[in-house]
Amino acid sequence: MAHKIIMPKQGLQMTEGYIAQWLKAEGDMVKLGEPLFEIETDKLTITIDSTAEGKLLKIVRPEGDTVPITEVIAYIGEEGEVIEDIQAPSLPADVSVKEVESPKESRRLSEPIPVLAQAGVKYATPRAKMRAQERGFPIESVDATGPDGLIIERDVLAYKPVAASPLARKLAGLGGISLDGVEGSGARGKVMAPDVRQALAAPSADDTSDCLETVIPMDGMRRGIASTMSGSLSATAQANHSMLVDMSECVRLRERMKKAEIKISFNDIIILCAARALKEHPQVNAVRQEDSIVQKHYVNVGMAVATPRGLLVPVIMDTDKKSLREIAGITAALAERTKKGTITPDELTQGTFTVTNLGMLGVDKFVAILNPPESGILAVGAIKKQPVVLEDDSIAVRPMMWITLTYDHCVIDGAPAASFLGRIKELLEDPILLL
Amino acid sequence: MSKKTYAIAIRDVIAQEMRRDENVFIMGEDIEILGGIFGCTRDLYKEFGTERVRNTPISEAGFIGAGLGAACAGMRPIVELMYMDFTLVAMDQIINQVAKTRYIFGGRAKIPLVIRGQQGIGRGNAATHSQSMETIFMHFPGLKVACPSTPQDAAGLLRTAIRDDNPVMFFEHKALYADKGEVNDDPEFMLPFGKADIKREGTDVTIVANLLYVKRALEAAKELESIGISAEVIDPMTLVPFDKETVVNSVKKTGRLVVVHEAHRNAGWGAEVAAMVTEEAFRYLDAPPLRLGALACPLPFALNLENAATPQVADIVQAARQVCYR
Repeated sequence: MAHKIIMPKQGLQMTEGYIAQWLKAEGDMVKLGEPLFEIETDKLTITIDSTAEGKLLKIVRPEGDTVPITEVIAYIGEEGEVIEDIQAPSLPADVSVKEVESPKESRRLSEPIPVLAQAGVKYATPRAKMRAQERGFPIESVDATGPDGLIIERDVLAYKPVAASPLARKLAGLGGISLDGVEGSGARGKVMAPDVRQALAAPSADDTSDCLETVIPMDGMRRGIASTMSGSLSATAQANHSMLVDMSECVRLRERMKKAEIKISFNDIIILCAARALKEHPQVNAVRQEDSIVQKHYVNVGMAVATPRGLLVPVIMDTDKKSLREIAGITAALAERTKKGTITPDELTQGTFTVTNLGMLGVDKFVAILNPPESGILAVGAIKKQPVVLEDDSIAVRPMMWITLTYDHCVIDGAPAASFLGRIKELLEDPILLL
Repeated sequence: MSKKTYAIAIRDVIAQEMRRDENVFIMGEDIEILGGIFGCTRDLYKEFGTERVRNTPISEAGFIGAGLGAACAGMRPIVELMYMDFTLVAMDQIINQVAKTRYIFGGRAKIPLVIRGQQGIGRGNAATHSQSMETIFMHFPGLKVACPSTPQDAAGLLRTAIRDDNPVMFFEHKALYADKGEVNDDPEFMLPFGKADIKREGTDVTIVANLLYVKRALEAAKELESIGISAEVIDPMTLVPFDKETVVNSVKKTGRLVVVHEAHRNAGWGAEVAAMVTEEAFRYLDAPPLRLGALACPLPFALNLENAATPQVADIVQAARQVCYR
């Protein structure tokens, strides 16, 4: 009997998968372990390898279908084999192989399948990498013209890297525009953040056409974010507290670390403070499950990472047990892999709390939506110098930062939430307490 | 310098060396009065007599063994094979005796023996008389392997071979014998073993070829130039010792390698070169090294089929374009 290919479960919380692309056509020969199809979960695009060997007899669920896990989506077997008990709702139960095969022209095995480019991974020849390294720019920024999306030496030589500040790069990435067309106002034409903002605000050439709107179909990830966010708002009672934090000590800490050549970010310190406060406030480190509240005995803080395709929240396991330096190392690696798309589904689930920071983008203060099933999320604003009235009534200039906690009032009441947020503020204002 | 054919360049070096050193002599089938089937010993018997230009019976194992014995005893024999395919008759003598005697005797026995003859395609000599044998002798340690592609190279390499105290397998090509070129007549003119010759400089792709295929690679390079690809053509001259440095440095420059030979592509010496370059210059490669060689089938008798079974100029052009992604 033909082997069934099912929608696999990728990660603990996956309940259904969206079939983004079939990498084989009906009638193709498939080897064990060969890439067979791509799915998009609410978080990731994943290439799934074949669990069987033989001829792809029938694709039951076409591209674009959303299929619950373990449901049959295709059959692989020997030529001439009859497929029994097809589960596809729209098909008659007695589809024989002959019928299945005839209409489709089979693709040749040797035909290159453009998998590489689509998976968001870039491949380059050793020489191309060497050339990019010599010239000091990342190979990922080069457009490929080689076979199968391979970056070859010629591509690197033809590439003219745009000098840009890190913030300008980030803004361009988020805005989905290329730095190539942006005129730089910095030294030697370096593209600065205001240039990108201006470019984003300027009407593009497309606007001159008659077309008044652009319709972008929601892909798996976008749909995932949409249903999670609206589901979050309808299923929980979200309430907020804000506090203004004096970051003087954190600035000092970071500078001293810097002198010791240890690179940490403010966000790393905030994540650790939140993790320690969570350990002390188990009622916040909890999820709601039907009629009970499940308090987690582990603290896994997730950090919101903006990618060109949408928001992802990779998780730092056992955050409270880690040192600041360990957290700095993990967050840097997680952020990079999240942006590259090489993060695994399990690294995106199992969080117990989330920290989201828009300070870099100039947001002073904002309110975040809970990331279900978590009961708390901390929204962090920009650090800005402000006049502050001190206890002795003198006025001083201090680096200040707004933090805003969103919590589920179904699970946590206002007072313990305030106490939790206050503890974060306390730790941030005197980070020596972290020791 | 004088202009002469590949065959006459070889004959003249044999004559010069026999004049210089009375221990040098030559033996083989029909080399006396007939002068060998390609004329590489023509008229030598008149000057040196049939004692030093000796005919042998049709017994390669016998007269290669005799050559080894003579070399051990202090002579400097040149053994001519009518076809290098016939080394197969004498494999035990060559691989087990000639290649290993110096080693087995701890270097105390010198083996100044040259085994030379022609091989290859071009005359429709069919499966057992058209093969390329050099890869086999590259595999077994103890033999030097020379493959001249021009009259000048034939002269310079042959003199080095005769004066070498180690056994040398000297591969000539039947389709090159009539080629004419300028040859250095200096009786001391020698080309060193283990030094590749860059036959043409280029920047985009390195083409390594030997014997007949040096010519074809140069033709391909001309065609490639017309489409803007600059090919560097390297003749390794000797496969043992092999001039790794020249080839690797060239690939570091060009980033792309095509090896083309008449020997079968499967497990041919091109595979060795491709592996060597991949090991030594991996990060410089912009494309996988390509190998061209005869198909994995016995060489056909009919000339049109012989052509179909061996790489043509167009195939070399195509391979070079492929590694240049053009």
